[in-house]
Amino acid sequence: MKKIIATLVIALCVVGSAMAQDEIDYARKQAIDSLALEKVRDLSKYIKIVGSKETPFSEANRVIDRAEELFMSDAEIGVSSLGSNKITYYRVRKYFEHLMRLNYDRVEIEWYNIEYVSDLQRQPDGTYVGVITIFQTFRGYDKEGNLTYKDTTKKDITVYVKRKETQIGGRTIGFWDVLLGDMRVKETTNR
Amino acid sequence: MRIIRNIFILALTIAIVWPVAGQTIGDFKMDETELYAMTKQMGQFMRRFNYEEDQFGEKLNPKDPRYRSNEMRRKSLPILFDQQKYGTQTDLQRYFIEDVTKDDSTYMTFLGGRWYSEVSTTFRYNGKLVNVSLILAVEKEGLGSKWVLTNVYFSEFNKLFPNGEMAEREKHFLHPMSHELDFMNIYKAFQNPEVIEYYASKEFQPNYLTLFFYEIKQGKLVFQHVDSVKFHVFQIKDWYFEVSWFNRSGMNSGWLMSNVIYMPEKEKTNLIKFYQP
Repeated sequence: MKKIIATLVIALCVVGSAMAQDEIDYARKQAIDSLALEKVRDLSKYIKIVGSKETPFSEANRVIDRAEELFMSDAEIGVSSLGSNKITYYRVRKYFEHLMRLNYDRVEIEWYNIEYVSDLQRQPDGTYVGVITIFQTFRGYDKEGNLTYKDTTKKDITVYVKRKETQIGGRTIGFWDVLLGDMRVKETTNR
Repeated sequence: MRIIRNIFILALTIAIVWPVAGQTIGDFKMDETELYAMTKQMGQFMRRFNYEEDQFGEKLNPKDPRYRSNEMRRKSLPILFDQQKYGTQTDLQRYFIEDVTKDDSTYMTFLGGRWYSEVSTTFRYNGKLVNVSLILAVEKEGLGSKWVLTNVYFSEFNKLFPNGEMAEREKHFLHPMSHELDFMNIYKAFQNPEVIEYYASKEFQPNYLTLFFYEIKQGKLVFQHVDSVKFHVFQIKDWYFEVSWFNRSGMNSGWLMSNVIYMPEKEKTNLIKFYQP
């Protein structure tokens, strides 16, 4: 509940006074960046929960539902490793289900404390597009507790920012809506 | 001695430009310094090139005195070179930095044109895997912009149109009175398909993108995957450079200048024609 209120507060902070105002100034861009980062942090959290072997199946499925809501309906996740140029494409649900089924006894998923937010560019229909880059380490252990797999991945996540309107108390309020799009997952040099 | 001095200068520059950051997770320590130093997106390359973000990756307000500061750019630009190729203090690097940070300095902009992406891809062609380089540029459209295909390089297409020797080219033409004979001699042009283009105007240039689209529509070229991406930048006055992705450890990784050439503006015109005919 706290989360919903916080998100609403941020969303309202970025509400423009003029309805037709589509250009984004520096201060508003910063507020939109925060909103987008909030979504990406939610995604990071969901990946960690679903990846954990301690999360019950029903809970993991509930979290996958929440994760799907962060993305555009046609979003894809493209994954590649150091050894191959081939990109494997997953729909969001499949990606999480794949993560849930990984064959390790215990996994550790951690995020580097670094998030890089690109400038927003407008696409032809006026929607703003940006990319947020984050880094993750993954470690998989066997029954004996031996580390059997580890990687560090760079995740480049598309962010769509669109101006929308809603009715609150009979008044039309404009706000910036943020949704995640395609995500590119690329293995980086072993760190 | 010079190498030691250069390494020292690089280490000092990195220490000034990027902070050291680390955190402990479980039994292992995650050092984020390298990730701060990495130029993580092409957009970050531009922002660092122009000094539009500070050493922590925070976007600078255009009203901030440090925004696009040439003094700060002189410190941060060396990090944008592939140090394994260019070292830290080469003459070329010095000339480049001096030139782009002069009073009438030039900056990179996303919508400024004259920068291209070269996407190396694999296609299946006649049952074999082949490499095709796609050239793309940012084009303004509607309320914003999009990447569009401007050219393609596929060796099979180039083989179709070899330059040919002048002596051979001069043997193939339709004489100027052919019209009076209802072009009865035109069959000769089609007898030798490999040199059919010799019968075209001297202005003729094959359009490889059209050939590419044709082969795709015919189902002969089938996309497989993207292998790598790099950028060709002509935007900066009197310079051309490539920006490539360096996936490696250390303080010099990510999107970096991999090929830097001094190129007066008039020399760029012909080269740009390859990227955008």
